Amino acid sequence: MSKPLEVALLTAPMSERGAWFSTLRLTRRFTIYAISIFMIFGPLSSLLLWSVAEKWFWPNPFPTQWGFKYWQQAFEGKMLSSLGLSFGIAIVVSIICLVITVPLAYVIARNRIPLKHIVLLIFLLPQAFPQLPVFSNVMVLMYRWDLVGTLTGLILIHLVGALVFSLWTLVSVFQSIAEPLEEASYMLGGSRIYTFFHVVLPIALPGIIASTLLVFLYSLDEFTGSLLIGAPYHITMPVFMYNAAGGYEMQVASVTSVLLMIPGILLLFLLQKYMRSEYLAAFGRV
Amino acid sequence: MRRINAFSLTLKQQLAGAAIAAPALTVVTLLFVYPFLRSLQSSFRSQEGVWTLDNYSEALSIYGGDYLYTLWICGVSLLALIIITATIGGLLRLGVYPLLEFIFKIPLFVPFVVVGHAMRVFLAPHGTLNSALSITGMFNPDTLPSFAFSSLGLVAALVWKNLGIGLLLMLGAFRSVNESMLEAARGMGAGKLKLIWHFLVPMNKGSVGVMAVLTFTSMLGSFSIPAMIGNAGGSQMIMMDLYHQIVYQQNYGVANAIGVLTYIASLGAAIYYLKGVTKK
Repeated sequence: MSKPLEVALLTAPMSERGAWFSTLRLTRRFTIYAISIFMIFGPLSSLLLWSVAEKWFWPNPFPTQWGFKYWQQAFEGKMLSSLGLSFGIAIVVSIICLVITVPLAYVIARNRIPLKHIVLLIFLLPQAFPQLPVFSNVMVLMYRWDLVGTLTGLILIHLVGALVFSLWTLVSVFQSIAEPLEEASYMLGGSRIYTFFHVVLPIALPGIIASTLLVFLYSLDEFTGSLLIGAPYHITMPVFMYNAAGGYEMQVASVTSVLLMIPGILLLFLLQKYMRSEYLAAFGRV
Repeated sequence: MRRINAFSLTLKQQLAGAAIAAPALTVVTLLFVYPFLRSLQSSFRSQEGVWTLDNYSEALSIYGGDYLYTLWICGVSLLALIIITATIGGLLRLGVYPLLEFIFKIPLFVPFVVVGHAMRVFLAPHGTLNSALSITGMFNPDTLPSFAFSSLGLVAALVWKNLGIGLLLMLGAFRSVNESMLEAARGMGAGKLKLIWHFLVPMNKGSVGVMAVLTFTSMLGSFSIPAMIGNAGGSQMIMMDLYHQIVYQQNYGVANAIGVLTYIASLGAAIYYLKGVTKK
């Protein structure tokens, strides 16, 4: 705000000042919302538009012919098997992660593990360094172990990133649970195992659900590893989309994008209460 | 109160801890730490297995420009990201904008590949943005510039994808600022922008730094966004060069030398972690 305007406002009669301020505020609020909505939904809505455009000649501002031809085409072709593959892998990866990282994250959160900081550092590396240079060397190793182009290889490469993601979020979930609750259970004669399953786990459940959903989404979106290890035998959705976009099949790529986007947006809408900021922002904090 | 720490663990507890850690550690060590070390080693070896620095001189002479270009793009993206998320985070901290936080969480849940494709469709010469602009009648559609296959397209996509995580980290820090401090500043006549840039950001220097380091690393390592957006000739992102060296040239020495150069650029996150540990 410039000085003269401020002075003018301060010297104006009370009622006028109020009106001035409220119009100013309303316009500012409106502008902030308009810019934000344009920024976020602009690119996303173009995907939706392209996915239902059968013909779109430049410079028409809207598709010349609308229709679901490409949606039908997508569901008849190879995309459906990619969709199935991606969801299948994501489910398997989520379950494995859940089984492996829940106990580990708990043990780390309660300092019951030797060399805790070194263990955590190892689990930080995949998040701290770019994936592609490392995964290209994994590819060489996997060729040696006959894992390239297999489902096992694909699941393993997804697990690397997923485990890290899952561990960091779960450690912060368990750290947020007060320790005296467990001590009370020990006092009353509960064993460690009993306390974990009957005291800790129920309290941690919302956090565990959030972390599992994040892992599911991570696996669904994983691109680098899938391209190097899975393709061309097992083509996941992101790789399918990359191929379609590379071949300038704008509509097919857009249909795939919309399908890839749906699970994330759906989870965001349905599970807003689980998606607490502190879980999402857990990375790099010990 | 009984405190359990790493030094007073019984042997049985240590073994149990190690057993619980074993599966996850095995996967990450074998499929990340080991190949990571291999890439370091391989970057210093020629194809005949002799120790050499040739890979680096070759990588730098061919891709030195792309390396600087990548750092530049990531730097510009980071700057834009900090400006946008600090402004929005500040607005959310200082006022009530119910929908805004939800809107800006969306990019967190949109896959990288999808962001790349969406920006391509949105910013292409005949893309939706230019179409929308031409509807207004103020622009001649054929003279509108194309942002998609340029540096601007890359920056837009990288910033867009990181808006969600950036805002979360920023907002978490801003929300921990004492209300009375802000009241005092307001009492002195500070406007919203001044509050954000003269109070909230400097007070949370540490958290802004964490956010900067984390997103810079993620931008640097991003492969799917440059792969989707591509380039119109000229410089390209270093990850594309790396992929090219592996898939088409199969020259792992040079590819790994490029890899090591990107590790160096993303050391910030690791250093930050070690600092945090040694402080304790």
